[in-house]
Amino acid sequence: MGRVVVTGLGVVSALGNGVADNLHNLRAGRTGIGKAIHLDSSFTERFLFGEVHLSNAELRTATGLRDTRGLTRTELLAISAFNEAVGDAAFTKEDLSDFDTALVSATTVGGMVETEAIHGDANTHTEPSEFVNCYRSGAHTLELARMFGIRGYTDTINTACSSSANAIMLGARLIRAGRARRAIVGGVDSLSRYTVNGFNALQIFSDEMIRPFDEHRKGLNLGEGAAYLVLEREEDAEGKRTYGEVRGYGNANDAYHPSSMSPDAVGVRGAISGALQTAGLAPSDIDHINAHGTGTQNNDYTELLGLSRIFGQVPPFVSTKSFTGHTLAAAGAMEAVFSLLSIAHGEIYPSLNFATPIADFGIAPQTVYRSGAELRHVLSNSFGFGGNCSSLIFSKV
Amino acid sequence: MYIRDLRCISPQRTFDGEGLFAEGPIVHSGSQYWAEEPSYAGVIPNGLLRRMGKSVRLATGAAMPLLTEHAVDGIIIGSTDGGMEDCHRFLNQIIEYNEGTLTPTTFVQGSPSAVAGGLALMAKNPGYNNTHANKGISFENGLMDAWLLMREGAAKRMMVGCVEEISPAQFRIETLAGFIKKDEVRADGLYLSKTPGAVNGEGAAMFVVQDVPEDAVAEIVDFDVISFPTMGDLLAKATQLLKRNGLAYSDVDGVMMGLSGDAGSDPVYHSFADAVLPGAGRLSFKNIFGESPSASAFATWYVAQLLSGREPVPMTVLRQAVKPLRTILIHNHYQGKQHGFVLMRGMGN
Repeated sequence: MGRVVVTGLGVVSALGNGVADNLHNLRAGRTGIGKAIHLDSSFTERFLFGEVHLSNAELRTATGLRDTRGLTRTELLAISAFNEAVGDAAFTKEDLSDFDTALVSATTVGGMVETEAIHGDANTHTEPSEFVNCYRSGAHTLELARMFGIRGYTDTINTACSSSANAIMLGARLIRAGRARRAIVGGVDSLSRYTVNGFNALQIFSDEMIRPFDEHRKGLNLGEGAAYLVLEREEDAEGKRTYGEVRGYGNANDAYHPSSMSPDAVGVRGAISGALQTAGLAPSDIDHINAHGTGTQNNDYTELLGLSRIFGQVPPFVSTKSFTGHTLAAAGAMEAVFSLLSIAHGEIYPSLNFATPIADFGIAPQTVYRSGAELRHVLSNSFGFGGNCSSLIFSKV
Repeated sequence: MYIRDLRCISPQRTFDGEGLFAEGPIVHSGSQYWAEEPSYAGVIPNGLLRRMGKSVRLATGAAMPLLTEHAVDGIIIGSTDGGMEDCHRFLNQIIEYNEGTLTPTTFVQGSPSAVAGGLALMAKNPGYNNTHANKGISFENGLMDAWLLMREGAAKRMMVGCVEEISPAQFRIETLAGFIKKDEVRADGLYLSKTPGAVNGEGAAMFVVQDVPEDAVAEIVDFDVISFPTMGDLLAKATQLLKRNGLAYSDVDGVMMGLSGDAGSDPVYHSFADAVLPGAGRLSFKNIFGESPSASAFATWYVAQLLSGREPVPMTVLRQAVKPLRTILIHNHYQGKQHGFVLMRGMGN
């Protein structure tokens, strides 16, 4: 079995609908975070969000579908990014419906984005709302399978903020084991009253723009979006453009606390070491890190601790959440897309809003755009509630 | 892959592994088959027990005895709904308090991943940890995950399991959507029902799986899943599954069918079996366990019992097998949309 290569990318985020717009804004150092206008929540007055700049109506039009009844924002975002990714990989209808084409997606909020509808269906409605079949996590995956005629292996992962990193990992492993020849992997989450209230209750929102890895960071900005990658066996991808390979992956649990990270960075170190091990690489081989970097006190400290312990001299690292906000189950895949764009174009996108290093470490993320960088191996981290820690390594082909 | 040990809390007396077979099944009626929960004494400390949502409690109750006895390299959970009751409690607060200052407990506990994360925390297990929330094939997804790890040499022994709870909110949603029976049907007449909808079950089935046959209870030979299949797709998948394990349909002694009492989606089980397994015994399990997204985990627990020598509960036998039950194919679908196969074999053959 040869390498697992990435032949297609699709993304919709606060930076735009499509890889091109995202890339343009990453290079320009222009954040997508701002005042949310589509999210129906009183918190839009108090906090900033990485909202996709399209209403549901605009998203419906953008998908080009005739019948969009019963599709939630989560599904619309997923369809957009999925469509771009499989188009980018030049998949035919036959490719999509082959028994050997797998779909592994991820979400946390799923159809619960339709707060009013689910509350009504669960409590007062006598007739079901149009979203009645959409609330559960697996619903969007099933919708993608139906819409695109997927007949191979399907899976939906929910490990909170590391969900789509695990989806990518699983897709690569399915291909390596011969249980799929190609896999469309990624994740989606939309801004919802459910999640916004949950994170507010946890008191981890910043009331200003997030400042990843800054001594004076105040918390995170929530974002939304979807990202999908097309993975193929290298031998099947001959003649296709490839962005890089999925070289390594690691998953570990912090086993410390339901919603915060251990002071020893057990899970962080476990995930990164696991990724280095499956990749057959040494820490010194890593040229760039797309960090989890949520901008919370707890995450950024623990992540830097883990990185310092493993790398000693930490390679240039950034948090692209300073552009998109924290997109939860979409974050791992979105940052995988950005990592692969970094490799393919030989460039590092800046980490925004940084001023002062965290005192205990004295190290700064990369804050200016850099081109002409020869990036052989890029590490991407995703850590979630429940102690779920996952790391991926993407390499130049 | 082999099942080394297993535990189950279900609508039947399954926790000790004996009751269901020794005392016979509980014949439920209506559309909610509630779990027969053990006391949890000595399994979950009282202080923790009080704070747990139902899914976390069911899963912990079934998993902790196993995690105490067996060292595992990681924990994989399938759960579509997770702590759905907590989840809806939080949702209701958002509406009722118009987004006031809420407490995060139900938000954190309401996530499906809280189960696997909580087990890692309780068992102090820093290994591989994953949660599959893929509706009706989450258990098959968990098996695949564990099988891959063993094949990669990344694990020798894993915990794989599923949990689902009946929550008032989700039950109402499923009823509105037409997936739950509206008429009162007794379990022993479930498959004669001519009405749409299934009966809702709950519980947790946990397995310690390993890559070697030593001391195993049963073998999980292979598994596969498919969404929205035609009959042709189903047959092709099942044929592929058997073929890659060097088996033919004639090697299958029994088929464990996921009949749920739903007049609309039940016939496909017999059509499938008629087409390729006409001589095999036919068994069922949802008239004792009920339907849930994790139903195939209960089927797997039940089949493991049969393969290790227990007699099937009479009300689950649809057609006696001609041959002794050594190889059993579980065929289960969820609401007609997702089909899963799990192929199991006893240890003596």
